[in-house]
Parts: sequence; structure tokens; C-alpha cells
Amino acid sequence: MKNALAVLRAERGWSQADLAERLDVSRQTVNSLERGRYDPSLPLAFRIARLFDLRIEDVFDPEW
Amino acid sequence: MDAIESQPADARAAGSRLYGLYVLALALCLIGNLVMREGAQGGWLPPAGQLILALLATAPLVVAALLFWRLLRRDLDEMLQRIVLEGLAFALILYVPLAALYLNIRTAGAWTPRLDPPDILLTPALLVAIGIAIAMRRYQ
Repeated sequence: MKNALAVLRAERGWSQADLAERLDVSRQTVNSLERGRYDPSLPLAFRIARLFDLRIEDVFDPEW
Repeated sequence: MDAIESQPADARAAGSRLYGLYVLALALCLIGNLVMREGAQGGWLPPAGQLILALLATAPLVVAALLFWRLLRRDLDEMLQRIVLEGLAFALILYVPLAALYLNIRTAGAWTPRLDPPDILLTPALLVAIGIAIAMRRYQ
């Protein structure tokens, strides 16, 4: 599933490590999420959306 | 221990260290097994000593297993948990048919490599490593 994670992170000037710390996951997980190699669980998807103050469907889109 | 308890960013390194610790504990167990067999054959290790050595040699593996369980449950994030669990599933799913195939071929009288208990004990550890490597390639 594609997502806007890399763009949203870049807009805020965060590194992958910064985002990983904010989400309490590993940097490897952030990297895999951004590359669309790993689809997050629903709780993690909510955490990501809340962090960027967006809805889940604004961050993740299976149609992308 | 601190490295294992730290944040998920360190989880991969902690996992690698823990896997190394697990393999080391397995090696200690196998060395204990070897000493027991040599002692029994040579007659210099009494049965009580063999039993004590059996328990002592297995103790590090029990500790490593508990640490591994804790790392898996508490310290890995969801993707790393998934990678480890897929590695464990790969090992279990493959080990049973491999072991059954080996037993059947051996029973049929065809040539098979002679496997000692240590070889059989090492196989799942090797399969877990292969399974984790495959899962890591999939997600990273």
C-alpha cells in the first residue's frame, strides 16, 4: 500500500530516526513503511495519522 | 541488558546480539553433550556427573530462550516482531517435513548423511536464521 509518509516527514524536516522516535518504532520500520514494503497495523496507522493531524485515508491509499 | 530494553531503533542490533547469544548457548549445550558422551565412553564421568553436566549445559539455553521471548514480546516493534515470527514459522513448517523425509529415506535403507542429535538440534536454529533473512528481504 502506497502512502504519503516520506512527503509528510520531509515537509516537517524530520529524519527517519525522528519519525521513528515519535512513533515509537524502529527506523527500519519507518523506512519499510515509506517504501510501501510494510503495511502498518491499524493502531500504528492511527498513530501515524494523529501525528500528522490527518485522517488515515489522507496518509494511506490502497489506490495509489 | 540495557541494549535489549532500549527503544525499537536498537531492536535489530539487539536481535542480532540475542541470536548470537542463543547460538552461543546452543554451542555450550552441544559441548556439554560432547563432554558427557566422551566422559561416559571413557568412564571418567560418573552418571551423577553426567546428569549435573546435562542440566548445567542446558541452563544458558533456557536463559537465552527467556531473553528471546522477552525481546519478542516487549522490545521489538510490530514489523520486527512480524519478521521474527515469520522466521520461526518458516523454520517450524520446513523442519517437520525435512525431518520426516530424512527418517523415511533412512528407513528405506537409502544412503543418508549420519546425523547426530547435535546436528538435529542445530537444524532449527539454521532454519530460523534463513527464515528471518527471507522475511527481512521481503519487508526491507
